[in-house]
Amino acid sequence: MLPGVTRIGPYEWEVPIGFVPNMRVPGRFFLSDLLAETLEPGAVQQLANVATMPGIVKHSLAMPDIHWGYGFPIGGVAAFGMEDGVISPGGVGFDINCGVRILTTPLAAADLVRKRELIEALFAAVPTGVGAKSTLRLDRKELSGMLTDGSKWAVEHGFGIREDFLHCEEQGSMVGADPGAVSQKALQRGMPQSGTLGAGNHFLEIQRVDKVFDLKAAGAYGLSEGQICVMIHCGSRGLGHQVCTDHLRILEAATRKYGIVLPDRQLACAPLSSPEGLAYFGAMAASANYAWANRQMIMHATREVFARMYSIPYEDMHLVYDVAHNVAKFEEHVVDGRRRRVCVHRKGATRAFGPGSPDLPPAYSEAGQPVIIPGSMGTPSFLLHGTATAMERTFGSTCHGAGRVMSRTKAKKQLSGQEIKEALGKKGIMVRAHHNSAIADEAPEVYKPSEEVVRVVHETGISRLVARFVPLGVIKG
Amino acid sequence: MSFEELEHTADVRLRVKADTLEELFSEAARAMMVVMYGSAEPGPMRRKIEVRAPDLESLIHAFLSEILYISEVEEMVVSGADVRLAEGCAEGDLVGEPFQPDRHRAGTEIKGISLSGLTVSRDNHSYILEVIFDV
Repeated sequence: MLPGVTRIGPYEWEVPIGFVPNMRVPGRFFLSDLLAETLEPGAVQQLANVATMPGIVKHSLAMPDIHWGYGFPIGGVAAFGMEDGVISPGGVGFDINCGVRILTTPLAAADLVRKRELIEALFAAVPTGVGAKSTLRLDRKELSGMLTDGSKWAVEHGFGIREDFLHCEEQGSMVGADPGAVSQKALQRGMPQSGTLGAGNHFLEIQRVDKVFDLKAAGAYGLSEGQICVMIHCGSRGLGHQVCTDHLRILEAATRKYGIVLPDRQLACAPLSSPEGLAYFGAMAASANYAWANRQMIMHATREVFARMYSIPYEDMHLVYDVAHNVAKFEEHVVDGRRRRVCVHRKGATRAFGPGSPDLPPAYSEAGQPVIIPGSMGTPSFLLHGTATAMERTFGSTCHGAGRVMSRTKAKKQLSGQEIKEALGKKGIMVRAHHNSAIADEAPEVYKPSEEVVRVVHETGISRLVARFVPLGVIKG
Repeated sequence: MSFEELEHTADVRLRVKADTLEELFSEAARAMMVVMYGSAEPGPMRRKIEVRAPDLESLIHAFLSEILYISEVEEMVVSGADVRLAEGCAEGDLVGEPFQPDRHRAGTEIKGISLSGLTVSRDNHSYILEVIFDV
């Protein structure tokens, strides 16, 4: 481990005040010895940098998928006080509400005939990759509705059923979204991209539930072993990227205006109650809603393909849940015995609210919030549930994925997209992308083992295992 | 003018070199397009661009962010730019070709240009930009 970082538990490490100058609180992160082998010093530095920001509460945190990002580390979580705290796009990222959802089908693995045809039909129905455009042309009024109401807008416009938005974090629609704070440029980028998957690590994957660890919670979520599911991972597309770029510039000026001193320009921020901070929150919430509507539209296209190919009713494919990975939100948490409203930033981290949380649909109240952890292309994904421990220790947060371990440059040198595709094919996993380079970029070898990341959050109790999913086929950007 | 990709686990980190600052802006734009589309060749498309920012790093950040926006909305793969620099302002004429799905799908989507790790420096021979793209 890095000098200056101390172990305080089997899976918990502390970065003391003074690790970088001007830290206001200590840093804390969760990691096993195996994962510690690939920890980058830059990621710990970024965790410590976050601890210098005004109004940070208790700790600057990182989950076991911590790695080197920009601004916050990936896997970073921090809460800021309402009176003295700030909001920063560096704690959310360019892909606002990049997130993931999982959909069940009534099919078992044996029912999944004509898999190649299914993959091609999904690839045709969901625009993917660089430069992909939607077949749908939204006008300004429709886009504004999408930004204000998110998943709810999509359902009201025929892209789903009522239970869908009830099964999303924030019910798929963040309060306080302000389309007026979204620039013309961002709107222009968002208009032709609704319902598109994007590129990079975004995917749509057909999976089979291969193991249930917690029968009761799985039952509440409507899952059983052998069942075919679909996982969708994508975000707010060019609209969210532009919102981040625009507001980063505004907040850089605000950082100077309010006399805030920061160790990294990407952490540009403004007080939560300032006009600049409020404008960023409004635009970010609107982008988050765009992302929820976007995933809803992709899920709608997926359901239509399954309904057509396997003659199953649209309504028999249930959305288990949808979670955001990159977002800042106002939440209430107990801090040192006192209930406080704080602004929680999660950058590459998942909300993991415990049982009894009023934000959950009634059917999930006893089990806690479903937490979806996508694996990489050839490796399993997991469903967990949120816990009281997460509420006490991590502002109700847990990990979001495997976390990269190999750079894209190295991946491209060492791995050929064609070979990976063939190797996955031999394991029964079909991959479809526009270009093989998209496959090499996201090969299983470039990620940390998802099992190990999930084991750490399970052992520390910040979420608990419910089920494991194995991939059968995937479409990529 | 040249660029190379440096090690970075999650994102794309580049080092761009050029003899003049104007060429550095142009080469950085081309490098960004190569990352995004796999190639960026000169073509028939032309487009004026103008950005303002208080310092050099912010100016190149604004310039690249504007090109990212233009590229997506106008479906233009930018291969370079004739750039003019003045105090707090970069002006240029972009050159490029139309985006074609069959030729421009070998790259990876860039979500934004990070201010973390964005530096412009100079050695005896050239100007050097280091920049991280979120992909």
